[in-house]
Order: sequence, then C-alpha cells, then structure tokens
Amino acid sequence: MGELNTAAAQQDKTRYRRLKRRRHGTTEIIVTVILCLFALFTIFPFIIPVLFAAKTQLEFAYHPWAWPKSFQVKNFIDAWKAVRIDKGLLNTLIVCIGSIACTIPPAALAGYIFARYKSRVTEVLFYLILIGYFIPVQMVLVPLYKMEVALKFNDTLYGLFLPMAAFGIPFWTLIYRSFFRSLPNELAEAARVDGAGHWVVLFRIMLPLAQPATVLAMLLVFIGAWNDYLLSLILLTNQNNFTMQLRVASFLNAYGTDRMPRYAAAAIISAAPTVILYIIGHRWIIRGTLAGAIKE
Amino acid sequence: MAKVVPADTVRLAAKKRVPRREPGRTLFIFFCILPALLFLAVFLYYPIVETFRISQMKTSGLSDEVFVGLDNYRKLFADEEFLAGLRHVFSWAFWSIVIQLPLSFFIAFGLTYYSNRMSNTLRAIFYLANILPSAITAMLGKMVFAPNYGILVTIGKVLGWKWLASADFLGNPKFAFWSVFIIATWAYSGFYIIYFMARMEQIPRDLREAAELDGASALRYAWSIVLPDLNYAIRICAVLCTVGSLKLFDLPYLMTTGGPGYATSTLGISLYRHGFINWNYGKAAAIGVVIFILSLVFTILQFTFGKRKDE
Repeated sequence: MGELNTAAAQQDKTRYRRLKRRRHGTTEIIVTVILCLFALFTIFPFIIPVLFAAKTQLEFAYHPWAWPKSFQVKNFIDAWKAVRIDKGLLNTLIVCIGSIACTIPPAALAGYIFARYKSRVTEVLFYLILIGYFIPVQMVLVPLYKMEVALKFNDTLYGLFLPMAAFGIPFWTLIYRSFFRSLPNELAEAARVDGAGHWVVLFRIMLPLAQPATVLAMLLVFIGAWNDYLLSLILLTNQNNFTMQLRVASFLNAYGTDRMPRYAAAAIISAAPTVILYIIGHRWIIRGTLAGAIKE
Repeated sequence: MAKVVPADTVRLAAKKRVPRREPGRTLFIFFCILPALLFLAVFLYYPIVETFRISQMKTSGLSDEVFVGLDNYRKLFADEEFLAGLRHVFSWAFWSIVIQLPLSFFIAFGLTYYSNRMSNTLRAIFYLANILPSAITAMLGKMVFAPNYGILVTIGKVLGWKWLASADFLGNPKFAFWSVFIIATWAYSGFYIIYFMARMEQIPRDLREAAELDGASALRYAWSIVLPDLNYAIRICAVLCTVGSLKLFDLPYLMTTGGPGYATSTLGISLYRHGFINWNYGKAAAIGVVIFILSLVFTILQFTFGKRKDE
C-alpha cells in the first residue's frame, strides 16, 4: 500500500524519464506498432455489442457486421423491459453496498490490530485469517448452500453479500494491515499522551488517515460484487432476486441469438458501471491491485 | 503542560503511560477482531469443516445422510466429467504459463523499455478486459467464435474461405478448449502485464544505462537483466496461473457449459453440475476437497520454491 503514498515520486520518475528520452530507433517504432496492434485487439471486442445493439433484429440477421443504418434506441428500451433491468440494477446495487458495508469495517479494524497491537495471540489470529486468503471459494459452495437453506438465507440478497464479504475480508485485512504499518506512529502516540483511549485514537486519527485505502477498497469491492457470477448463480434461484449478471446470462440461454440486438443492449448496460469506474479511476485501480499483489 | 518536551521523552512517557496488560486494551483488541472472525467462522471455517464431512456422505439434501467413507472419491475417479476437468486443470495451467506469461512479459517489457506518452494509456487498455464482468467476457467470446454471425466466420465468408466460414469453434471438441483459452488469454493477461510492468519499473535505471553504455541491445537487456530480475514475479504468476486453472468456472461455463461432451469441463463445472444440478452433495463436496488439496499443494510449492533470493 506504500505505493499510494509514492504517487508523487512516481510522477517525478516518469517526468525524468521523458526528459531523458533518446531519439526514436527503428526497433522502438516496430515494437510500439506491435503493441498498439495488441491494444487494438484487446479493445476491439468492446465495439461488438455496440455494433449489435444499434441494429434491428432483421438487420442483424442479414448483415451482422455491417455498419448499422440507424441507432436503435428501442433495443435498450426492449431489453430494459424484457430483462427487468431496473430490478436487476437495484438488486446488484444492494449486493454491492451490502458487500462494501460488510467487508470494509471488519477488515479495517482487524488490519489495524494486526498492524499496531502485535502479540502472540494476535499473531495466531492473523494466520487464522490468512488461511481464508488461500481457500478457493469453490471448496465451500456445498456446505455454504446447505447452511443458507437451513438458516433460510438462500435466495435473499443478504444471503449473497454476507458470504461475499466473508470471502473478501482476508484480502482487505492484509491490505489494511500493510497500510496501517506504513503510517507514522507519532500522531497516535501524541494523542495517547493527551489521554485519548484506544477507540478515540482509532476512530479520530487512524481511520481518517486510512482514507486512501478505504476509497480503494470501496472501488474494488464494488467492482468485485458487481461482476460476481458464480456465487449469485448458486445462491439465488428466484428470478425476482436475480442480479444484473444473472439476468444477462439467462437472457442469452433463453433466447440464443434470436434477440441478439436486445441482448447486446442489456449487456452494455450491465457492463457500463464497472467500465465507467475503470475509465475514471484506472490509475488507482491498477495501483491498488498491484499493492495487494506485491506485498504478498 | 506548556513546557516543550523533546520527542524522545514523549515516546518514553507514552510507553510508561500505556502498560502492556490493561483490561481496556484487551477488550479493544477483542472487539476489533471479533467482526472479521465471526464472518470467517460462519462463512468459511464452518463450511470448510463441513466439506470434509459431507464428502464422506451419500446425500442429496432432501434424503438423510448415509456415511459411505471414501466411496464418493472412488466414484469420482471413475467419472468422465471429473477426470476431464482434472486433466484440463493441468493442460490449462501449462498453456497459461507457456503462452500467457511470455506474451505478457513481451508486452510489459515493450511498454516499460520504450516508455512514452502512450504507455499509460496502453497499460490501461490491456488491463481493461480484466475488470469486465465474466458474463460479458463470455458473451464477447461467443460473438467472436459463434457460427453464422461470429467474427471469425464472417471473416471466412468475406475472404471466401469455406473451412473458416462453416467452422463451429465452440461446438467442435477440437477447437472448444482453445476458443475458451484464447478468450481467457484476452481477459486475464492484463494482470500479468501490469504486475510485470510494476516489477520492471523497480529495476534501477543505472542498470539500464550501464547496459546501454556496454552496447547491449534491448533484447540482450531483457534477457540478461530484466528476466533474471523478474524471476520471482514470474514464479508468482506461474502459481497464479495454476491456482486460476483450479478455480476456472465462469468463462467455460458461460461459453460452452463445459461441452461439447466434456471438452471444456473444469473442476468447478463438474462440482456445480454434481452439486447443484444433480443434487449429489457428497460427490460435489468431494470435488471441493480435491480442489482444496490441489490448491494447498500449489501454495506449498510456492512457499518452498518461491522464496525470494533477497529475503
């Protein structure tokens, strides 16, 4: 997480590099062209649904790849009605918010303890939580489902975001731990001398200082919850509770390619929030993803 | 209190003021760790233990549980779908390491070595597919490989290549695995690229300048300096490829539902089918245990062979 703090240093580095740039060599041009071609390949599939969603069904059937004659907004409206996108968006939003609310506070508190209150007991507990980081979700699906049925949690949205949060907590505990470790200790100690208790130090000083980590966690937990497919597929059975991803996937299974333009429209709507978030915050998202990977 | 105290004294005083054993402190620690532990206990630790128990039972959820010992495992190793999934774990991991990692290394090196105004944008583009919902990634994959309207088929039609125009990539056992693999490469390589780039940017600039002074080409620099330096990063990514192939579910399930036949079956898909379509909990839990054991083995391998040299 130290990466977040060194953003300025990073910028300096890039500036320095730009100043020191040499003349363009032939290899450089060739490699850059190849890389741009790769990038085109990477970005090309994103154009497909836009191309399809703009067409009428007839147009798609005869010329799937021709440029659309006019932009059919109707597809988006039809898709909205057919898949009940309003309900899907609402469900997904509830899952995302619930997941954020249940992942971040426990992870932040636990991460703080593991960073600042080291003892033999907390060390053992830390390894206990670390285990969760290495457990593949697939392993626990069957008992999880059985338990949720027993608790009457299955087929509810909280029954989805609670386990989702549990699977995210180990990772974010690790991130918060390394973030709190990178913070200077002086401020907290000064407050303690002034008579502030553990809780006051945590809530008034440390948690506000951890804001960059929290913003990042909110962003990434949101994207993760928005994109989830496997857990929702298993835990939700009632159409009414379906999240966006389930709706889009089941739409394709139900209609195949007969309704492709509408389907593409639904897909665009369901992918839009993550893509927009990424376009706005890609520097942050990339840096945060790496912070998790590099520390471990 | 108005007296100015040197920082050291403050620190000493703080240490004296806060004795190690005080009830408030213990309570504070307890309440801070409690929520996280509660979540994990209910949704992770308990299900883990349950998985092992259920895997020795014959149960469908509705009927009573009957203890059958290792019978579920014995049946699994006679189950075509499971065995195909198990084979695919290894072939998927192998091809990811052989294809995705070198490709990512090349892209990352190109972007770092010839760093220019476009590098950051290109990096963002390469990682874009990683944050897409897998339902959408799979849909895009279908649009590339589908018969009748897929991109490849359309290209075949335009060029007049009959074999391409009439190809059914996802319906043909020979091509289905590779079709899913190509889409996965497109979707997942972004992570390796940004990870390699971050590592490459940490290589001291002096090394590159020294190499250039000695007249080393880009290729030579990549081979003799960057590649050894990224040794650890590459091994981490290799482990990620392996663990990722264990967990594989969304993409093959959404693109081909594991078919045709068992051509793209994975452990995740066979677990889902046994557990949540055929309602055979015992068998599904046994697959869960197999996934757990394999990921444990891979993780231990990472820790024994993956130690960083400078640690």
